[in-house]
Amino acid sequence: MLFRSRLQLISLMLPATLLLAVLTLYPISQILINAFSYVDYAGAERQFVGLDNFAELIDDWFFIGAVENTLVFSVMASFVQVGLGLLLAVLFDREFPVKRFALPIVIYPMMLSTLVCSAIWRAWYHYDFGFLNNALVSLGLSPVEWLFDPSLALFSVMLVDVWQWTPMSFLIILAGLQSVPADIKDAALTDGASGWRRFRYITLPLVMPQILLALLLRSIDTFKLFDKVYALTGGGPGNSTSTLSLFIYKQGFKFFNLGLASAGALMMLLIACLLSAVYAWRYVGAKS
Amino acid sequence: MLKHSSLTLALTASMALGAAAVQAADLVIAGRDGIYGKALEESVARYQAAHPDMDIELLKLPYGSLYEKLVISMRENAGAYDLVMIDDTWATEFMSNGWLANLEEQSGITGDFITAALDISRYPVGQGPAYSLPVVGNVAMFTYNKSLFKEFGLTRPDNWEAVKTAAKTISAKNNGTTGVVFRGQKGNPIVTGFLPLFWAHGGVIVDDGGKAHVNSDQGVQALESFLELKQYAPRGVEVYNSTEVRDAIQQRKAAMAIEVWPSWVPSMDDPDQSKVVREMEVIAAPGQVKGSSPMLGIWQMGVATDAKHDKAAREFLEFLTSAENQKQLAIDLGLPPTRRSVYTDADVVAKYRWYPNQLDALEHGKPRPRIERWNEVESILGDYLQLAMIGELDARTALDQANRKIDRALKR
Amino acid sequence: MIRHIKPLAFYMGLVLVLLFFLLPILWMIGTAFTPSGEYISNSLSLLPEHPTMEHFRALWKDGFPERLANTIVVAVGATFLALVFGFLASYALVRFDFPRYLDHSFLLLVLMIKMMPPIVVAIPLFQLLKGIGMLDSSLGLILVYQVYTLPFCIWMLLSFVREVPLSLEEAACLDGTNLPKRLLYIVLPLCAPGLAATFIFTLIMAWNEFLFALLYLSTPSHFTLPLYVSNFITENETYWGQLMGIGLLSSLPMLFMAGYVQRYLLRGFTMQMK
Repeated sequence: MLFRSRLQLISLMLPATLLLAVLTLYPISQILINAFSYVDYAGAERQFVGLDNFAELIDDWFFIGAVENTLVFSVMASFVQVGLGLLLAVLFDREFPVKRFALPIVIYPMMLSTLVCSAIWRAWYHYDFGFLNNALVSLGLSPVEWLFDPSLALFSVMLVDVWQWTPMSFLIILAGLQSVPADIKDAALTDGASGWRRFRYITLPLVMPQILLALLLRSIDTFKLFDKVYALTGGGPGNSTSTLSLFIYKQGFKFFNLGLASAGALMMLLIACLLSAVYAWRYVGAKS
Repeated sequence: MLKHSSLTLALTASMALGAAAVQAADLVIAGRDGIYGKALEESVARYQAAHPDMDIELLKLPYGSLYEKLVISMRENAGAYDLVMIDDTWATEFMSNGWLANLEEQSGITGDFITAALDISRYPVGQGPAYSLPVVGNVAMFTYNKSLFKEFGLTRPDNWEAVKTAAKTISAKNNGTTGVVFRGQKGNPIVTGFLPLFWAHGGVIVDDGGKAHVNSDQGVQALESFLELKQYAPRGVEVYNSTEVRDAIQQRKAAMAIEVWPSWVPSMDDPDQSKVVREMEVIAAPGQVKGSSPMLGIWQMGVATDAKHDKAAREFLEFLTSAENQKQLAIDLGLPPTRRSVYTDADVVAKYRWYPNQLDALEHGKPRPRIERWNEVESILGDYLQLAMIGELDARTALDQANRKIDRALKR
Repeated sequence: MIRHIKPLAFYMGLVLVLLFFLLPILWMIGTAFTPSGEYISNSLSLLPEHPTMEHFRALWKDGFPERLANTIVVAVGATFLALVFGFLASYALVRFDFPRYLDHSFLLLVLMIKMMPPIVVAIPLFQLLKGIGMLDSSLGLILVYQVYTLPFCIWMLLSFVREVPLSLEEAACLDGTNLPKRLLYIVLPLCAPGLAATFIFTLIMAWNEFLFALLYLSTPSHFTLPLYVSNFITENETYWGQLMGIGLLSSLPMLFMAGYVQRYLLRGFTMQMK
């Protein structure tokens, strides 16, 4: 018998479970209550208002816009990052002279604080003096309104996220590629399969789990997008880069409409649950 | 590796505990960044020279962050700050919630503060005791480039129609100078940038009965004029804030600015930073259907009710607002004073030729609406103004929708 | 792998990708050494004409070392706390023959917490921290960072613990070795690569965390580096030189650490999927 009692094992789980419970159950219960209440500004009194907060949110063009932006951002950014990460991983899966130095360069962006990343890109996006527009102008092209064209701003923010976090997907997928046994790769070679076919029918299926993992991790993070928008655009111009996190932040910490903020948070949580259930179903299901 | 980790773990834990127990400062001040932050920093340094044992912590934040940090701390009674800097539009909220200490209880307010400025430090406005002191005598002014106007045969614009005509004339020339510049960033900047026009056209945000009324015909007209002016503004004006407005003026990228605050422009006559030395004329905002009424934008400082160092905060505030310190700050940094005597001081006027105009504007200044939820109202209005600005909504729809939302916020 | 791609095309692709990741970094490094007057220009040069150390000197005087110390305390503290608790929990999860659905639902729960946007719990956590008197302190921050770090650690470590053969432990058990000793001398060393990978990712996460730090720290001398960064973006002016100086200084420790455990980084994710 490895363990004196079940109690011993349970006691090992206790610290983590307790800590997570305190840190999440209490806040979530508060949100559940507040979402259905009007919370007095001073925070002392609460009044049950049923679904009023939700009705107000659904009626709010800015909220709906934030939901759309968040979903568009999350889906597009994570797919681009995983695609680019896959490409990079394939490049890095072979030996080449400067590889030892190239790898740290490629993963450097994810070591930077998001605020610094955003600042770098804010400077690069500057209409009059930014590096990107300077480059465009020197090529004889016209400058681009990176951050103040409403139809472009969200993509500009996305580019920053792609720059910062593609390395994460890259590392995950590279790890997968390197764990593909050499004999499988060699066998494919002696078969004389063409490069693309080999990639499509042998390599890709083998690293599919890593690709899915990268997608999962990146879509979680991009769904929560807050600090880049906070630092780059503040949600503007108009509502074009506002996200759910930013909306809740504004309602909660700027206007102290705790009821509305909680209702928004609850809806966000529900979307997150839905997404994680889909993932868990695929992910856990695939394993068993 | 193992032994190392447990050692490091123990070390970190003890460091963490140590950091948590670090000796607290003798006075914690929260204020704005930029020139206001420099002014506070300079004053703290001077004060510390006289009180070498005092440990003063100064937090400098941008507009929005300062508001959020202060309200959270006050609302949750966390006692994080002793002396706080607030925009006069936040005053009603802070004072009605009892977050600021009555400054007249212990020592009376002495000195020659400009009445209009001190009035909004009182609660109720103009009558009650003072809960803060005016620290920065900001009042929105209008500025235009006199030599450019001369070049184009234009005269000083006295109403907004004249501003439009001038902007059009100058932009049409297309020689790198646009007609006009203003703050278009959503939130506080665009609202403050728009208010001079809005007021001059006879618009009101809240009517006498306390109901939202931004979508009156006058309001819509004002917004239409504002949108028309945008055609004569630099590209990207919808994300401009004070820095961009100042640069546009100083680099002669724009000939007029709808709204400049004295604290932004001390460098206008400095040949190292400005290409328009002595070219700009700073005047009160033009009128339209109504006469000009300069907008007050006073930065105030008050002592938090939950301050841990109440006495130190009061003493420092007294030092900060003293005439000598104000004069020094005006000369060193161009921080607009709040005492009448400093505006008439010969050294100060010699350096800032527009100070007599400014004093006059301050004395006749009009504050923004005194409502508790101003911050939310301003943010809503700002959101919709920007939607109109980027062409997603027309003026009427934008103001109608803004009005509906502001009304709901006011009823909360 | 794809050995038949023409080398020229391969290298061109590589160079393009490297440039995309490298240029902004070069700009950051260049700007950290650029004198204040030189920022605004239309030149495409990434490096300063007259390099200067003025920004680093200013940072040093302005309290960078204290902020660095705060960040080290908070990030390392939060990482170790999460590693210790996460290690214990994942061990128990692996060894305890929970019914399968319980196992899955715990994983689901962990995943959900990971998905939960921090902003959602920010206000109640503020009240919680205030209640236990830990607002504005490193310890409080270490505690709330567990919302991010603990689920991540459990999730990463599970698969590593699963790899530890039961037989080793059983043998030790017959010799009369008790649980704490087995954990310390058998399981822990075998999980070392996984711990290293988890450590570095968790550390990066905690090192750069902004939102909770922004909300829960109020005194400037308690600030962590990501908050300190925001000091240099003011309404009137952005202090590019100092900003990029901090960016450079604060990322170097992470970069060295990651370089040091480079091979574990990759292993971390390979194991993850087993």
